[in-house]
Amino acid sequence: MNSLLDVKKLKVGFEGAKPVNVISEVSFSIQKGENLALVGESGCGKSIIAHAILRLLAPEARIEGSILFKGRELLKLSEKEMAKLRGNELAIIFQNASHALNPVYSIGRQLAEPLRIHQKSGKTDATKKVLKALAQLGFSSPEKYLKFYPSWGSGGMNQRFLIASSTILEPELLIADEPSKGLDPARIKEVERELWVLGKEAKSSLLLISHDLGFVRRLADKIAVLYSGEIVELAKTSVFFKQPRHPYSQGLLGSLPENGFVPIPGLAPALCESPSGCRFHPRCPFQKEKCLREHPELKAREERAVRCFLWA
Amino acid sequence: MISTAVKKTFRYLSSFALIVSLNFALPRLMPGDPVKNLIGEDVYVSDLVIEELRAELGLNRPLLEQFLAYIQALLRFDLGYSYHLHSPVAEVLQERIGWTLLFVGVSVGLGAGLGVFLGAYAGWKPETKLSRGLSCGFILLSCTPPYFLALLFLGIFAFKLGLFPFKGFYDTLTLGSIASHLFLPVSVLALFSASRNFLILRGSVIQEKEELYALYARAKGLYEREILFRHVVKNASLPIITLLALDFGFLFSGALFIEIVFSLNGMGTLIYDAIIGKDYPVLQGAFLLIALAVLIANILADFLYAVVDPRVRRPA
Amino acid sequence: MQKESRAYKELGVQRNLGLPKESYTLKESGLQKFGKIFKTFNRGGLLLFFFFFFLALFPSLFAPYSPSERFIPYEAPSEAHLLGTNDIGNDILSELVYGTRISLMVGFASACISTVIGLSIGLLAGYFRGWTAEVLMGFTDVVLLLPKLPLIIILGAFLRPSVWILILVLGLLSWESLARIVRAKTLQLRESGYVKSAQCIGFSSFHIMCTDIIPNLVHVILPKFMLATASAMISEASLSFLGLGDPSLKSWGIMLSFAFSRGGFIRDMWWWYLPPGLCITFCVLAVALLGFGFEPKTGVAKKEVVKLQ
Repeated sequence: MNSLLDVKKLKVGFEGAKPVNVISEVSFSIQKGENLALVGESGCGKSIIAHAILRLLAPEARIEGSILFKGRELLKLSEKEMAKLRGNELAIIFQNASHALNPVYSIGRQLAEPLRIHQKSGKTDATKKVLKALAQLGFSSPEKYLKFYPSWGSGGMNQRFLIASSTILEPELLIADEPSKGLDPARIKEVERELWVLGKEAKSSLLLISHDLGFVRRLADKIAVLYSGEIVELAKTSVFFKQPRHPYSQGLLGSLPENGFVPIPGLAPALCESPSGCRFHPRCPFQKEKCLREHPELKAREERAVRCFLWA
Repeated sequence: MISTAVKKTFRYLSSFALIVSLNFALPRLMPGDPVKNLIGEDVYVSDLVIEELRAELGLNRPLLEQFLAYIQALLRFDLGYSYHLHSPVAEVLQERIGWTLLFVGVSVGLGAGLGVFLGAYAGWKPETKLSRGLSCGFILLSCTPPYFLALLFLGIFAFKLGLFPFKGFYDTLTLGSIASHLFLPVSVLALFSASRNFLILRGSVIQEKEELYALYARAKGLYEREILFRHVVKNASLPIITLLALDFGFLFSGALFIEIVFSLNGMGTLIYDAIIGKDYPVLQGAFLLIALAVLIANILADFLYAVVDPRVRRPA
Repeated sequence: MQKESRAYKELGVQRNLGLPKESYTLKESGLQKFGKIFKTFNRGGLLLFFFFFFLALFPSLFAPYSPSERFIPYEAPSEAHLLGTNDIGNDILSELVYGTRISLMVGFASACISTVIGLSIGLLAGYFRGWTAEVLMGFTDVVLLLPKLPLIIILGAFLRPSVWILILVLGLLSWESLARIVRAKTLQLRESGYVKSAQCIGFSSFHIMCTDIIPNLVHVILPKFMLATASAMISEASLSFLGLGDPSLKSWGIMLSFAFSRGGFIRDMWWWYLPPGLCITFCVLAVALLGFGFEPKTGVAKKEVVKLQ
């Protein structure tokens, strides 16, 4: 296997008076130059997976399984080795960009920081690259933004600054956590183009986390649907959109405006109290008695894997 | 933006007016003969001279007139005359303030550095033994009256161990002599200033390190110490600027007590002697000067804040 | 007051979990609850405070002699005089015990004054907003800029030294930070549902302030009150050191001042100058720790100690 990222049986839990498991046995892999999207309702554990890969979770998080990045086991690296990878080969774009940027440093300085720490670039050199990156993201006069501060701009602007900062070193794997959240359609188009260009030119792979299915459809090669901390369906994008198999995936597509805006009944369960049996059964229209008792396995067949008894 | 600037300016001006009027009103309102209150007690002057002074000081004239005369005198830097020291108050103050400012300045600088550094550490890793020890130590320190600590230092390091001279600013006017004389008093004051900065910064770092930008700094590939000192500390120390300014008055007062203990000939001893001798003109002059120094420190802090925090000087 | 950690907010899920430690503890019995309340106070601080409090209430139980009784001056510690005697032959331990009441009284009395002033100003400014608030808070800011101790020194020098004047002056000059906090909190409370509904029913502003707002300010006021007490005690000690205290009521500050000016320090009589100093420090510490205990969250509380002096 020459996967760029290979996540196997990833389990994440949190210590506490009563320890809780939030992610159970999630496995997926990303090849070089491939884009994978993780979709699901908010609160299903998408961001936790992203943070677990970069080892950014709080110390009380317990991570099990294996995360291989270019053949190296990330969970066994020291914090120092991890720091060398982060931002350099493995970068992330957070949601809520206005808070992810440091309020007291100029954009120029924050964008140059990855260059300064990973490549030890000089000031003029770094500035040149920062200007280029800003221009690429559609800022017409980039010089203006070197001495600009995050609190002066809008959320959309900050989102683009953040993308520039995360992609400036052309990481081999970029994790984008809801990059389209809170942006207007025109801006989403720009972000989409930038991510696409990055994949084409820098041969970067993308782990896209989103609940915007339209955005996902245009960017991702593969889609993994996450429900209550586990993958319920994994398929190629084209295949997935043609015919989703898992009842939850069908529900997700059905709730899109172009498909009739039909919401999935009920609420997503909190991660700490997942239902017994199939976790989706309380909301599932095809619920059978077996679903209440037994937990289905993820079964692979015909280019896709689905976690449902109907599929087996 | 503009309205807050106007508001601030107005507040500073009112503060200034309040200080000046207090200084004018106190000797006239306080019980006792205003002449005595203006020239000081325990000074022997004959009744004839007193009446002459009353006329000279204009105490028989209406208050408004007196106030205008007082303002005019202030503008000429005329703060009255000390009958104890036989010289104009302005001159006496001028002689002493330099040393005190040196003393306070060095201590505040050292204290800020020490407090920020240790506070940042203690906030970053609040569970370690060292952090807990530091926190306990600094809390205890902030509960001690400054002069008591000065007494302890003087007793232990100067009397018992004989490591440092125990009085005055210098024997000979050389840098070495001044440094050895100032070492103990500066340490005491710096520790006090540090204890306040430490506690603020500790709390502030504990809060700031949970902010998303700190996590993003980690995601960029920064390592522990770099995240703390490059990203978190700068945000966390913004409140220190305001604190330093508001603290200036407190530290200045603390300095007065420490000067008295170490017999340093600065403002502190001047005030102490003035209290003992009831030398009111000197006391008033000193109060005016200190109050102005605090006011200026606060104005400077506002400017500094605007320079450091981009959120304050957001362009239109 | 502490913001919910933003990093956790990002991971929406973790927020749903709440803090696992707290959300999953079992229901506690009454006794455990009391234990928990007790735990929020620093036990050392609580013990220390009660120790000083009893000294202040029943000095005659603890002091071996009357503080004015005279023995041989300048005696070193012995069995008869555990902490020796001072320049006029008073037993130092007895003086120390009787001094507790004065120091605590000055602290609490001036804190009462400053709390009443701070509460009224903050409450009015927060409740009425508009011009009233502008004027009141402007005034607060202006007073905040006055250097307290120098002003107290100059007032103390003009007035005859007396404990009541000291209390009054300390109380009148240290209410600004309370006023600010009370105002901020009142601004929040006045937007709350029950205040709004009380306004609709037609209760008077005064009634609403007394019954709906003040009770909800208690957890803000109590810690501030304790810190004001602590800070007044330090100020009292400092002023006494300058000879501006009330020599007829011997507080710890005055003892320390006498030890310094009447030869205790030069003669290296540690039993004279050390105990009052340590008493001030630890009593202030006890009061301050008690104040932290009233704070809803201890992490934030430590910042407050800075406003002590």
